[in-house]
Amino acid sequence: MTTVAAVTRVEPRASSGLWRDALRRLLRNRPALLGMVLIGVFVIVAVFAPIIAPYDPLARFPTRQPPPGPTPAHWFGLDLQGRDELSRVMFGARISLFVGVLSVVIGLTMGGIVGALAGAAGGRVDNVLMRVVDVLLAVPGILLAIGIVAWLDRGLIQIMIAVAATNAPIFARLLRGSLLAIRESDYVLVARSLGASGPRLLFRHMLPNALTPLIVAATLALATAIIDVAGLGFLGLGPPDPRTAEWGTMLTDSTKFLRSAAHLIFFPGVAIVISAIGFNLLGDGLRESLDPRLKR
Amino acid sequence: MTAPTSTRRRDGIPDAGPLLQVSDLVVKFSTHDGTVHAVNGISFQVEAGETLGLVGESGCGKSVTNLAIMRLLPKPAGKIAGGRVDFDGLDLVRLSEAEMRDLRGKEIAMIFQDPMTSLNPVLTIEEQMVETIRAHRRVTKQEARARTIALLSMVGIPNPESRLRSHPHQFSGGMRQRVMIAMALALEPKLMIADEPTTALDVTIQAQVLELLRDLTERSQTAVILITHDLGVVAGMTQRINVMYAGFIVETATTPELFAAPSHPYTVGLLHSIPRLNAERHEPLIPIEGAPPDQRRAPTGCPFAPRCAWRLEVCWTDNPSLTPVVAGTRVVTSGAGATHLIACHNPPTTDEAVAGRPLRPGFVAAAPPGVVVDELAASLEATPATAEEVVLMTGEEGPISAAGVTDLPPTPPPPEGDES
Repeated sequence: MTTVAAVTRVEPRASSGLWRDALRRLLRNRPALLGMVLIGVFVIVAVFAPIIAPYDPLARFPTRQPPPGPTPAHWFGLDLQGRDELSRVMFGARISLFVGVLSVVIGLTMGGIVGALAGAAGGRVDNVLMRVVDVLLAVPGILLAIGIVAWLDRGLIQIMIAVAATNAPIFARLLRGSLLAIRESDYVLVARSLGASGPRLLFRHMLPNALTPLIVAATLALATAIIDVAGLGFLGLGPPDPRTAEWGTMLTDSTKFLRSAAHLIFFPGVAIVISAIGFNLLGDGLRESLDPRLKR
Repeated sequence: MTAPTSTRRRDGIPDAGPLLQVSDLVVKFSTHDGTVHAVNGISFQVEAGETLGLVGESGCGKSVTNLAIMRLLPKPAGKIAGGRVDFDGLDLVRLSEAEMRDLRGKEIAMIFQDPMTSLNPVLTIEEQMVETIRAHRRVTKQEARARTIALLSMVGIPNPESRLRSHPHQFSGGMRQRVMIAMALALEPKLMIADEPTTALDVTIQAQVLELLRDLTERSQTAVILITHDLGVVAGMTQRINVMYAGFIVETATTPELFAAPSHPYTVGLLHSIPRLNAERHEPLIPIEGAPPDQRRAPTGCPFAPRCAWRLEVCWTDNPSLTPVVAGTRVVTSGAGATHLIACHNPPTTDEAVAGRPLRPGFVAAAPPGVVVDELAASLEATPATAEEVVLMTGEEGPISAAGVTDLPPTPPPPEGDES
């Protein structure tokens, strides 16, 4: 009886992989949990904005200058054009999430390809690619993004490319570094001694082991991407339609009324900070739970 | 897969030569501070089904030799600079990378020292083994899986079916090395290279793993090259032993011969530096003084000379080649069929081998050539130091310099046969 019970209890543990262990550690990490809650709120608001937002973000209500702050009808008050600020912040989450996630995905793809090529090929290929990466890393990220948007003209896709371009070199260098270390590892030598071919070494043995630092970096990059997108918007390089609800653009419009209508700075600002903190907390939690050396 | 490479021995033509014949293998590493002469023209052979021991201290070229055979030297630093490696009718040095890859795992497999890092941490045991099998054999996943289960139970892993989906970190070190052995034997290779397979294991597990290795390779008639620095490990496992020093084979003998009549000063030193259970209570261990030579310099003279108690003047300038052990020191087959070869100008006698030091009255190890003259010259006119002198001043302490000092007043010892 007892042996049967023992066996069935051992069984699921035996099949639980590294990922499940990592998830268990992540769920025990309070800051990471808080981060997930914040991100959860952010994502739900972004996805369901058309349903849960009280008003159309473009609908204008009669107002005065400076616009009134929070009222029972408009919780976050009205903006300079008399639009509902709460609805605009909610719709702004859509742009931040959409552009942020897509730019990180694009950056991860570009950086991943470059990093994998450099790390797997080594030698001259590695040298050339990494010097290009060095040049890109030498330019401050936001400057690079401004340059790209100025060059490609305004637009959501352009913003994504710009933000992706600032992230891609970081991913490339990170992946290349882990691949170089993994290439020298015993299990890669063992796989080679058993006749594994080049592509299988890379895709089956090396890349999966290089993935964890990349996951952490991508999560943290989501935070910077949201700030970068807002930053571009604030500098007037946001979505081409100036009426679009976008956090950075909303901040620009209201800087002139900082004293008389502080709620116009406060609410979009808090939205940016909360979403960025959420991704940062989750990223740090992931770093801790995915690092086998910190196993408890 | 490729017809010309692998069908040669499958058509029933009996083998003439040994399974593996290494001839004059030279391996060099290019590093930032110059070329490292890792392996300096060694030759040996392994017969089908034979177990060969490769013994020597760290850095003597044991592992490099075998990585060279597998063509897995770290690129771009490591390079096979000369020689042939004939395996089963193929010259491995000249095979293409694709042909070589096809051979690895299938014909020659390898087990490594540290089982804790030899398995991929993110893949399950099943994934790693099935992948290996399917890389070389056209079998379905189910067939490969069944073979994996059979292999795991063969190496003594309990409940193999339930352990299939385990990850390496869920196994102990000994179990992981069993899994490694199972992987290495999965495709029934003709030759298995075991590079210090038990060094990283608990002593109680070492014997189990060695026994398993011996049983399985005996049963499947797999030839084994067993690399180790532990003479105790090779004693019970091998038919023949090569002793390596600084990239040279300095002694080769059948296992009984080597232990009964160690004939190279280095082998004698090795045997005297390990404790024996049947030794007299207070018999001291005799360490080999000094350290292996800096292999960034091309070897001149016998590589062991600086540490050798038996050295003659000729040892400093001439590197002896492997020759049969001559009757008189010990009775061993001599001539072409010799089974016991050493590379030594002044081999220890039987009594000296037992004692672990030269017993001839008045014998003093020869001082390095020119050291007396050079010291005088340096003090008189400050001539630039010669290469030998630099080594002396930087590298070796103890015996050489001590010997050099004691040799100062009288004439240097006579060149050979100081047995009066």
